[in-house]
Amino acid sequence: MQEELAIRVEGICKSYKDTKALQDISLDIRNGEIFGLIGPDGAGKTSLFRILTTLTLPDEGHAEVNGNDVVSDYEAIRRTIGYMPGHFALYQDLSVAENLDFYATVFGTTVEANYDTIKEIYSQIEMFRDRKAKNLSGGMKQKLALCCALVHKPDVLFLDEPTTGVDAVSRKEFWTMLARIKASGVTIFVSTPYMDEAGLCDRIALIHEGKIIDRGTPAEIVSRYPDRLYSVRGDNMFRILNVLRPIDGVLRCSSFGCECHVAVPQDGPDATLLLAALENAGLHGCSVEETEPGIEDCFIRLS
Amino acid sequence: MGQYKKIQDKTLTAMWKYLLKKEFRQFLRDPGMPRMVMMFPFLIILVFPYAANMEVRNIKLAMVDNDRSDQSSLLMEKCASSGYFEVKSVSASPEEAQRMMDDGRIDAILTIDTGFGKYLEGSGPMQDAMPVGIKVNTVNGTRGNIGSQYLNACISGFVMSEKGMDSAPSSQVEIRESYLYNQFMDYKLFMIPALIVIAITMMCGFLPALNIVSEKEKGTIEQINVTPVSKTAFIVCKMVPYIAVAYFMVFSCLLLAKIVFGYGCAGSIFSIIIFTFAHILVMSSFGLLVSNYSENAQQAMFIIWFFSMVFMLMSGIFTPIESMPEWARAITYANPLTYYADAMRGICLKGSTLADTWFDLVCLLGIGGLTTTWAVLSYHKTN
Repeated sequence: MQEELAIRVEGICKSYKDTKALQDISLDIRNGEIFGLIGPDGAGKTSLFRILTTLTLPDEGHAEVNGNDVVSDYEAIRRTIGYMPGHFALYQDLSVAENLDFYATVFGTTVEANYDTIKEIYSQIEMFRDRKAKNLSGGMKQKLALCCALVHKPDVLFLDEPTTGVDAVSRKEFWTMLARIKASGVTIFVSTPYMDEAGLCDRIALIHEGKIIDRGTPAEIVSRYPDRLYSVRGDNMFRILNVLRPIDGVLRCSSFGCECHVAVPQDGPDATLLLAALENAGLHGCSVEETEPGIEDCFIRLS
Repeated sequence: MGQYKKIQDKTLTAMWKYLLKKEFRQFLRDPGMPRMVMMFPFLIILVFPYAANMEVRNIKLAMVDNDRSDQSSLLMEKCASSGYFEVKSVSASPEEAQRMMDDGRIDAILTIDTGFGKYLEGSGPMQDAMPVGIKVNTVNGTRGNIGSQYLNACISGFVMSEKGMDSAPSSQVEIRESYLYNQFMDYKLFMIPALIVIAITMMCGFLPALNIVSEKEKGTIEQINVTPVSKTAFIVCKMVPYIAVAYFMVFSCLLLAKIVFGYGCAGSIFSIIIFTFAHILVMSSFGLLVSNYSENAQQAMFIIWFFSMVFMLMSGIFTPIESMPEWARAITYANPLTYYADAMRGICLKGSTLADTWFDLVCLLGIGGLTTTWAVLSYHKTN
């Protein structure tokens, strides 16, 4: 059972002066899965990543990566993980090939020996191999960073907010790459503030203000959602929210892009009642439909 | 097992090699750095010695002659021909001379009052005050001070020679000065070793510190920290290019001084190598210390700027330590530049050997040991 776990986190706490960044975090991440840590900015995602990648020490609790303790066996961990921080952290004044060579060499290997691991991603940037990293576009930089994190065939790959600030198409492409990396047997621990990426992970944990508020497969988390959910569309979203919020039985009402999600108890007000309330307030032409909850709805309920 | 160890050693060497390669590459790829390094020796030898010259010459002098006697014009002639003064105005009125000084056009006024000629001719003893006045502009203290000394020397020399004819020759004492180690009091010869000291200090203390802090700023140091590269390997490889450059500067400066001015180094090159190494140790650990305590390049720059002022001004490079007050002298004893500059001057000018300069070396290594320990301890704490 123990061998199946790639990462084990038990009761990790971390504070910076008066701010409690992480409070009693416990997680199990299995070998060969994509595990997503999902939460807004400032939830403590990066703090947990820094502890697991041995960059900082936890105040309490302990954690293991591949059975190695993050405090006492940090050297063993560093040999077997790949880490891609949220910001681009490669040498801007070295070329693409030089960066890759550099990271291969410091891990005691060569690009040629592990070419298969990175081939699919590297082939997309190989034509720029002599270009300096600072002259690459954002998407190219990200691919290079991923190559550098993978070039030594790590067992576990840590990706801290890899898709923040990346356009929708590149994000999709990136997740496709992750699926391929996973298929080659690498465990991936990824953090993201985008709830819609949760569905692409095998299992996820929701983190909010330094605490894990829920965990499981995305389907499990969604199935645990107890309330009925309506999606309301209309022209004046601000007024719609103001009208719906005071209604008896409306638990939560939050805007979701061009619509708003209204959560009510299973025996709460139904669609016709909500629509009538909107009509009474002079908001015509609105539509109210029952909808399936997503991860974001779960997050809003729990946070 | 042995096989495995061999493979591990091999990858370790490869790692060190590549780290070094990376540092050199980045250094050479920097748009300004290599050019600066090439420029520095030329500046040190060909430009700075002239600029950092503290000999005072060309003191602008106005002379007011109220006496208008033969003696007064002789005195003026003597002052004008001494070589220290640039006579701006002669026999102007006292008011006009004062105005010129207020405007900053002259540094000193020599006023010869009526009765100067009589005073010299008078057979009586020189009990009355001599009717000669000196006014000196001390906005620039050194210049004023030295200017008045020169003027005094000129006047008393003149008076001596005029009066001395009559007075008893037995009272005359001739003082002959001879300058040891720097026979012609050539300021350049004295400043070049000190300027090399400053260059090494900048090269090995400050540049690596800024380099490390900028890796911190860009986040690349984190990426290195999750690799098996040890901190020692990282820091040592970072230092190597700067050490190489430091030695390049020392030797190119010495070579240039030899070619351009014909100055040879009186001491052995070996002791220069030893002292330079000790100083590199001190300065690089100091730089590492600064980088440990600063989050960004701006902070590091400021700390460095602060210390470089203290290091340079309180080291005896520009002003003699002996003329500093007691408390300031105490600071110079904690300053590594004091010892390195003292040793470098000793070696270059006097040909001091390691046996003569062992005290400097011990102090330098002592300070180095202290800063290195502190730097290593704080490095582990912050990371």
